[in-house]
Amino acid sequence: MTQATEVLLPASPDEASEQFGDGDDVTVIGGGTIVVPELTHGRLVPKKALLLSRAGLDTLAHQGDTVTIGAGLPVHRLAELADDAQALAECALNVADYEVRRQGTVGGNVCAQPGPDAPRGDLQGPLLALDAVARSTGAGGERSEPLEDFLASRDGRLLLDLSFERPAASAFAALRYPHTHAYTVLAVSGVRTTSGETRLAATGVAEHGVRLHRAEGAVDDRGVAALADVELADDALASAWYRERALPVLVRRVLATLEEAA
Amino acid sequence: MKAVGARLPRYDGIEHVTGRTQYVDDVRVPGTLWTKALRSPAHSATFDGLDTSKAEAMPGVHAVITWKDVPLLEYGHLSALGIPADEPLLAKDEVRYKGQPIALVAAEDEETAMAAVEAIGIELEEREPLLDIRRAFDDDAPKIHQWGNWYPHFEGEMDCRQIRKGSIDDAFAQADTIVQGVYRPAAIEHVPLETQVSLVVPEANGRLTIYSCTQALYFSMGVVAAHLGLPLNKLKVVGGTVGGGFGGKVDTATETMCALLAQKSGRPVKWRWTREEEFLCSSTRAPWHMEVADAVTKDGWILGRKMLTLHDSGAYARFSPYGLTKHSFHHTGAYTIPNLHFDGYVVFTNRVPTTAMRGFGVTSVSFATETHMSRIADVLGLDPYEVRLKNANRIGDTSPNRIVYTDPSTVPVVKALAGGMDVELAPEYAAMGPGQREGDLLPEHLVAQLADPEDH
Amino acid sequence: MKLTVNGISHELTSPPLATLLDVLREELGITSPKAGCEQGGCGSCTVLVDGEPQRACLTPLAAVDGSEVTTVEGLGSPEELSAVQQAFTHHYAAQCGFCTSGMMIAAEAYVARGGTDDHEAIQEALGGHVCRCTGYVKIIDAVAAVARGDSFDLTTTAPSAGMTNLGGVS
Repeated sequence: MTQATEVLLPASPDEASEQFGDGDDVTVIGGGTIVVPELTHGRLVPKKALLLSRAGLDTLAHQGDTVTIGAGLPVHRLAELADDAQALAECALNVADYEVRRQGTVGGNVCAQPGPDAPRGDLQGPLLALDAVARSTGAGGERSEPLEDFLASRDGRLLLDLSFERPAASAFAALRYPHTHAYTVLAVSGVRTTSGETRLAATGVAEHGVRLHRAEGAVDDRGVAALADVELADDALASAWYRERALPVLVRRVLATLEEAA
Repeated sequence: MKAVGARLPRYDGIEHVTGRTQYVDDVRVPGTLWTKALRSPAHSATFDGLDTSKAEAMPGVHAVITWKDVPLLEYGHLSALGIPADEPLLAKDEVRYKGQPIALVAAEDEETAMAAVEAIGIELEEREPLLDIRRAFDDDAPKIHQWGNWYPHFEGEMDCRQIRKGSIDDAFAQADTIVQGVYRPAAIEHVPLETQVSLVVPEANGRLTIYSCTQALYFSMGVVAAHLGLPLNKLKVVGGTVGGGFGGKVDTATETMCALLAQKSGRPVKWRWTREEEFLCSSTRAPWHMEVADAVTKDGWILGRKMLTLHDSGAYARFSPYGLTKHSFHHTGAYTIPNLHFDGYVVFTNRVPTTAMRGFGVTSVSFATETHMSRIADVLGLDPYEVRLKNANRIGDTSPNRIVYTDPSTVPVVKALAGGMDVELAPEYAAMGPGQREGDLLPEHLVAQLADPEDH
Repeated sequence: MKLTVNGISHELTSPPLATLLDVLREELGITSPKAGCEQGGCGSCTVLVDGEPQRACLTPLAAVDGSEVTTVEGLGSPEELSAVQQAFTHHYAAQCGFCTSGMMIAAEAYVARGGTDDHEAIQEALGGHVCRCTGYVKIIDAVAAVARGDSFDLTTTAPSAGMTNLGGVS
């Protein structure tokens, strides 16, 4: 079965783009933490497997106020951005455990489809709040777009990197429960840009991370307003009922932290 | 005695830390085949059209087994304790829990085995499942077991485990208050780090060598022998190295099926469960439903206990009647209650059959009893340590099943707890010991149950 | 594909997408890393890849072609146990032993990168490793002892030190 899979091992970003092509029949493997169990248990039999371990996408660059994260960067290295984007560093250190953080990649986390029982893609939250730009390749070649748009249409795209402008302040609040082991039930990220704009995003509230636009625009209780931005569902980690009560609390905590940082 | 009180290293300690301990999955026998199972996707269904021909014809597949291959399809694992057989080794005509094994494939590698399972044909017709033990007694509940919805084979063909002692009616009549509570602990998964696994090797001399993770080596040997119709001297079981069991590895979950596949294929056969199978299909500690009503006096004496227990056995009986029996013996816990009315039922549901787990049958009623003692203290406005110390088992007191206590530990343990929590007991309580009741500690209602511990 | 495992180099026949766990256990017969869950959730498969602790069950062979792998067999032998192996023996940190391989690999890496005897730091480093037998207390004690540079009398076990503070009020 996987014996018949064509294994592609690009040695550079260009090779990766070339071998990905238009993405037809290609399964991308970043660190392997999400995809490899699917192969092991026979749930996924790729025609082509594109392994990014040697593709040189594990970059982290600063250019002025712009930070660019390669899709192949191991999640744990986001700790290096503690001064640039506290929420992103904190979120990263909350993912899984020491070993999985070193093996999993930013791209793998951001592009993860929802799991069968629980949401994935914790890093989508802070990156959405940072209004990160996703550069990807696929049919029609390269394009750059806001992460929000990329998440809505990422089929057939290979994420290459994510860029954002350093904010004035950022904050992260999550429900962390031992019983959910490595998974985050619910998390909110917030950013205040250098121009004073406030952005909010949440994970664990829908199929993938979402911006809380209505909460951002609300005048009164932005915590409660956030409920209009999300589509809560029961899953293996928690009920919609519970998340409905917890979301406004996390939003308020994030906003309070952002204010303190003023 | 040199070992008692000494801090001895584990005899297998060096093996563990050098990676040399050989668990079943570490045993290497050339030619070993991998096994995968077709399992029921439904909680409750009838099936027909079971067709293994395509699987059998697949290159790399050495054997496929169904219920037809099992010489004795149903064997009561605890028939020696009077629990008759009710569970087929492999499903025949119907499935009663999600994950129930229907057919098994032994193949050259894991991927081929998985593909062969996919190729087995079957037509299932789902039925309404029964998943809530409380509903089992309703007239319109689905009937899910050949014995009815609850176990009917306690001694004297009784359909419940009963304990009667003294007069519960008198106790209720004399009580100042009745304190009630309902306790419903949920199922618990053992989650051993090593999943269920066995390796069976057919030897040239006609014997089968069974590498097993069982916690109960001779017991499992007997189960395999019974299903296969083999004398015990045809089996050699290699075991004793268990990667965590906690009660869940007494079920002989894989050995018999591997033995059948080994016989049919003539090759060594291994079946190692995935973690998903371990979570979804392996037996758990049972969920329970316990209703307790205690007749109490305003100064904290418990005159009588009326109790109803429903034990969720899952789809088959397995060890549940035994667990419920132990539960019944301990239903007053660490305390002496002279008037008792206990009814316990082993109830069937369309869930994975439940099994032993540390303290089988008793942890549930300990939880209920201790919570209830605190509830009594709360309702009466009394100190929870004092309520426990008054009613504590003492020398000469008798248990629900008339065992005489000769050395009960309740009093010293409760006092130690108070000490550990920095709670200062009132002087008369701090002075209490476990000695035979007398004076204020021997109220009228406890006289009749007192026995002479020297006589026993 | 090539791997150097515990100092010995191997030319492998396993396919490129075989997991490192399967390569070690099935092709090379190195059985200390365990198949506890095969989805990265339990830590019993952890080995060192180029010195870093990594889940072998999540690692495709092709991703580590040419790497150096260390398993428990490479940490020490009964005649010459590493400090971590001695500590786990003396502190009774193994019961059934199934999680022990992964725990020790994580512990070795933790100490190698300068980990201290701080219990919270040890919990963070070993946080991906599940144990169902010991309740973790003696595992943490063992790792702390190595971090402190203790030496170990293997003819006896450490006395019970009361409950290890697992992060609550002391």
